[in-house]
Amino acid sequence: MSRLKSTLKLGVAFATLLAVAPAMAEGEYGVLMKTLANPFWGAMGMGVEDGAKEAGVAYYLQAVESDQAAEPQLNVCNTMLERKPVAMITAAINSTNLLPCLKAAQEAGIKVVDLDGNLDQAILDAEGIDITFRIGSDNVLAGAQGAEYVVSQLGADATGPVLVIEGLSGNITGQKRAQGFADKLGELAPGLEIVASLPGDWDRGKAANITNDILTRNPDLKAIFAANDGMALGAVESVFAAGKGGEVVIVGVDGNSDAVKSINEGRLTASVAQLPYLVGKQAVENVKVVVEGGEVPHEIIVPTLVLTKEVMDAGTEPMLEYVK
Amino acid sequence: MTSPDAGRMRPGPSLWSRIQSGAIERFHIRIESLIVLLVLAAAMAVLSPYFLSWSNFLNIFLATATIGVLAIAATYVLGSGGLDLSLGSVMGLAGVVGAWVAVKAGLPTPVAVAATVGAGALAGFVNGLIITRAFVPAFIVTLGMLGIARGLALVINHGAAIYGLPAAMVYLGQGRPLGIPMPVIIFIATAIVMHILLAYTRYGRHTLAIGDSENAARTAGINVQRHRLSLYTLSGALAGLAGLIFATRVNAGDPTAGLTYELTAITAAIIGGTNLFGGRASILGTMIGALIMGVLQNGLNLLAVQSYYQQMAIGAVLILAVFIDQWQVRKESRV
Repeated sequence: MSRLKSTLKLGVAFATLLAVAPAMAEGEYGVLMKTLANPFWGAMGMGVEDGAKEAGVAYYLQAVESDQAAEPQLNVCNTMLERKPVAMITAAINSTNLLPCLKAAQEAGIKVVDLDGNLDQAILDAEGIDITFRIGSDNVLAGAQGAEYVVSQLGADATGPVLVIEGLSGNITGQKRAQGFADKLGELAPGLEIVASLPGDWDRGKAANITNDILTRNPDLKAIFAANDGMALGAVESVFAAGKGGEVVIVGVDGNSDAVKSINEGRLTASVAQLPYLVGKQAVENVKVVVEGGEVPHEIIVPTLVLTKEVMDAGTEPMLEYVK
Repeated sequence: MTSPDAGRMRPGPSLWSRIQSGAIERFHIRIESLIVLLVLAAAMAVLSPYFLSWSNFLNIFLATATIGVLAIAATYVLGSGGLDLSLGSVMGLAGVVGAWVAVKAGLPTPVAVAATVGAGALAGFVNGLIITRAFVPAFIVTLGMLGIARGLALVINHGAAIYGLPAAMVYLGQGRPLGIPMPVIIFIATAIVMHILLAYTRYGRHTLAIGDSENAARTAGINVQRHRLSLYTLSGALAGLAGLIFATRVNAGDPTAGLTYELTAITAAIIGGTNLFGGRASILGTMIGALIMGVLQNGLNLLAVQSYYQQMAIGAVLILAVFIDQWQVRKESRV
């Protein structure tokens, strides 16, 4: 019997160790993110926290281990339904992985919010899912702003090769940013040629490798646009390692804390800041409006800001407050 | 009158060891793993008011379905002394192939379903062929297939998911006959069939005999190479089935589906008592292993514990399970 006892003890001790039970609350908001390992989502989480505090609502935030963990996120979403939140603010890993859960949420009368525009409206229509609102930056516009900045640095009549590092293959956010950049660049400076547009899978190391390879082929590379800051920072490392620091305009998207640091150090040229803090904060505020019976637009666009060393040194831009 | 021998009577096997051996003989499981599962479930029920409900019970099985089917494959291959690292990638490939056949080629659902499982079986067959005919170690072959299958899954639709499966196919992932999700039904039915195959048939006995000692199995007249080939094909087919469940559940063939699932599946099999080096395996045990992980994840999700801690918890359970297992084996060999 002693073995049974010790096995039981082990089990109980283990389970107790893990018990960090937060109190449940009536009318709480469920917030489902991708991974907090990315500072972008960390800043958005801070925005949610501050927004919830100011609005006086309870929230419950969950994330998964990586931004490719599609099925685990669906499983977390399903368990979130068990807590019966009044609203679910979700940042889906791709445009399809959460669909069955969102459908169930809708049937249970839970308000569904698309945080950061990861869902595809055509697919939502086909599935009969009616989201309460979508909030985030306009990714096409963010890409276009990146192109405008590159052209402002190189001039409209500049010529030479440009590299685009896309996000995860098939991810709509990355596609929009890359597309927005490519379209605007072609329009403003037709002399700048995109010699390669490759998926970096949101991966810093992969982006560094891609940059290395393209620098070998095109040593006169003029600019790099990466669909997020992590990849842009990978590109920065390769550019500096190749001894071309300062010669290539490198632009990322997100405006995360790593990127801000790199810009201040004069390594990364610019980042189209998405102000995730503001997105998180406004998401909660708008949900509160809806829960209390008010109306909000179906599409809430949070503006983006091109962060450069000049902008940060001047410090006069009011939106700088939301760069975390 | 008291017997002078009473104090010196040889003690019979204790109740506990009778339960242990009974569990192994009749159900092919280690009773300790079942106790860990029940204790874990009881702890979660105490800690979270949302844990004990029928819908959450189904959630746990639903969340375990794909990993569970892959873990069955891992159990067979590990039990035979082999290894299949390509499970997760083959699962992703199969889902994309099935979605391509249904959506892009527009073929009827039964064809798409057969193509999904068939694509997995084919990848497994190729694994088995290279392992048994070219004598390349299973670790290398399946590691190579991990890359090949994932790459192929991305190539088929240029890295994008193929969305919008026909309704009959989506039913396999989202349908709920009698309120029970289809993936759960497929998962449990597969587990029962595969448990019987492993525990009560000649095929299963040969599998474990090969894992125990390949030479002895060969001497006993088992066609080891042909049996291994069939095992890798079976493993691939099960990965295809997992791919079918995943794709129909999210209504899309996602080329990134199943990333690193092979390791999770092997973890479940080992927590359930499968010997990493072959010779001992049980599907019922693996199901308990998979459910321990499922309950742990579900409970921690309900408690809003960050996923980082969940990974740590599962890692700890893996080591703990193997520790208890080894401890038992040492104890038995001492008697």
